[in-house]
Amino acid sequence: MKLDFEQLRELIRLLDESNLTEIEVERGNDRIRVRRDPAPVVSAVALPSVEASGTTQSGGTPAVEDDSNYVTSPFVGTFYRASSPESEAFVQEGDSIAPGQVLCIVEAMKLMNEIESEVSGTIVEILVESGKPVEYGDRLFRIETN
Amino acid sequence: MIRSCRERGLRTVAVHSEIDADALHTRLADEAICIGPADPTRSYLHIPAIIAAAEITGADAVHPGYGFLSENPEFAETCAQCGLEFIGPLPEQMRQWGDKVSARALARSLGLPTIEGTELVEDIEDAIKKAEALGFPVLLKASGGGGGRGMHILQSKEELRAIFQTARAESRVAFGSDALYFEKYIDRPRHIEFQILGDKHGNVHVLGERECSIQRRHQKILEEAPSVALSDELRRDMSATIRRAMGEAGYLSAGTLEFLLDDRGELTFLEMNPRIQVEHPVTELVMGIDLVGEQIRIADGQRLELPEHLSPRGHAIECRINAEDPVTFVPSPGTITELHMAGGAGVRVDSGVYGGGRVPPHYDPLIAKLIVHAPTRAQAIAKMRRALSETLIEGILTNIPLHQRILEHPAFEEGRFSTRFLDDLQAERLLTAPVRH
Repeated sequence: MKLDFEQLRELIRLLDESNLTEIEVERGNDRIRVRRDPAPVVSAVALPSVEASGTTQSGGTPAVEDDSNYVTSPFVGTFYRASSPESEAFVQEGDSIAPGQVLCIVEAMKLMNEIESEVSGTIVEILVESGKPVEYGDRLFRIETN
Repeated sequence: MIRSCRERGLRTVAVHSEIDADALHTRLADEAICIGPADPTRSYLHIPAIIAAAEITGADAVHPGYGFLSENPEFAETCAQCGLEFIGPLPEQMRQWGDKVSARALARSLGLPTIEGTELVEDIEDAIKKAEALGFPVLLKASGGGGGRGMHILQSKEELRAIFQTARAESRVAFGSDALYFEKYIDRPRHIEFQILGDKHGNVHVLGERECSIQRRHQKILEEAPSVALSDELRRDMSATIRRAMGEAGYLSAGTLEFLLDDRGELTFLEMNPRIQVEHPVTELVMGIDLVGEQIRIADGQRLELPEHLSPRGHAIECRINAEDPVTFVPSPGTITELHMAGGAGVRVDSGVYGGGRVPPHYDPLIAKLIVHAPTRAQAIAKMRRALSETLIEGILTNIPLHQRILEHPAFEEGRFSTRFLDDLQAERLLTAPVRH
């Protein structure tokens, strides 16, 4: 494929100046894709909970119980059930939950990361006490999806 | 690290990615924290995850090891801001020595012999003038390049004329800049590096040198201490020069200064690694020192208590055992079905694996270091041959057969080699010859 260096530079510049992570240009039989590798992000943003299934992990991992009925922690940090000691807990056992609803906070380096539900369902069991440390991948809630 | 800590009564926390949940270090440490998925950018390179792990376990200090965040000044700074002792140099020192160009300038200003080079070249005529002043052969380098990329070896001005415009264009495309300059090219150098330690009280000690010329694509695979290419006088003089220079720089914790030795016996500064290195055990054995233990003492504010003049005792060799095909170098991850590591007098094994353990595909192929120490180099070679033949690692391929071929080669036995040794070995097609046991 003929590589026009100026066009390539232009694509890279466009990518840099925008919020895009990927630009692909096709002309006839020629195609070029420029992609930005994701950089690690540190910010107090609401993130969808990580609901990793054991089978989608890298090959060779010994079979584990399916994680799809659990909300697992996407961070290392301290688990809190409410936004402050005086506030009410975000959810109780038996509560219905909707996508985007905040379930809990995992705090790390003084940043309060709100963990959101990705699914509709019900909280069956709360697995961690408020104020306890959690690792990446630890199960926080057992849920039943609708 | 875990061992040095335990010997000092310090508790340890191992951080690991999901795929490393069963890794050896997680089993030896007092606690283990999963910090992210296998992808290093989201685990081992993810600064917030490491800091958070320290927070929830109440850790006081962090040892970054080698690789990953060990040369990341932002990480060192973040640790400091969060009240965590970073076991290593100051962030500013990591920055100065981490940038190759500023490192050379700093080394020169401290009185270390540095490689001759030119300023950036303007055009082909300027390039020819500069190259001739420097003296062929020269290395034409891209200022924005690194890691062995963007370099051309030129023997004459005719070769320079032929390649100049192409080199400029290549540099523009690859690195975004056509800034080029020259360095003196040393053909067939030996790679000699010096180990230093600095404490918080301004004391700097030089702990001898290591020979690391056996490399494949700029990756070391076999190292030894001391180097047969250095006379006692050169060792003493260079050590004194480095001690004065790094004392002036106020260097803290462990570090290694890398040099090239040319065929006239002159050492020139190449770069400085502001961290502990993979091959540190050979220095530990010939100097009778626990380098990681000293790093912990230094971080704790204690003074270095080392003799004024340290001489190496005996000879040590380290073989890096990689999970890879010994001929094609294709990585060989998988499960280790049988493992027996060598033992006996003068044999040390620093390993990251155990029988039944897995070697995941995501990371570096280094799985163990086999190190021997003996009174003479000839005895160390014999001991390493014996130790390699005793080592059993099944279920994956390793580069042990390659090490055996290196140790049998007359040039290696006689100490006659340069960084081109493995290339030459390949050329001799010895890699496919059967190995004597």
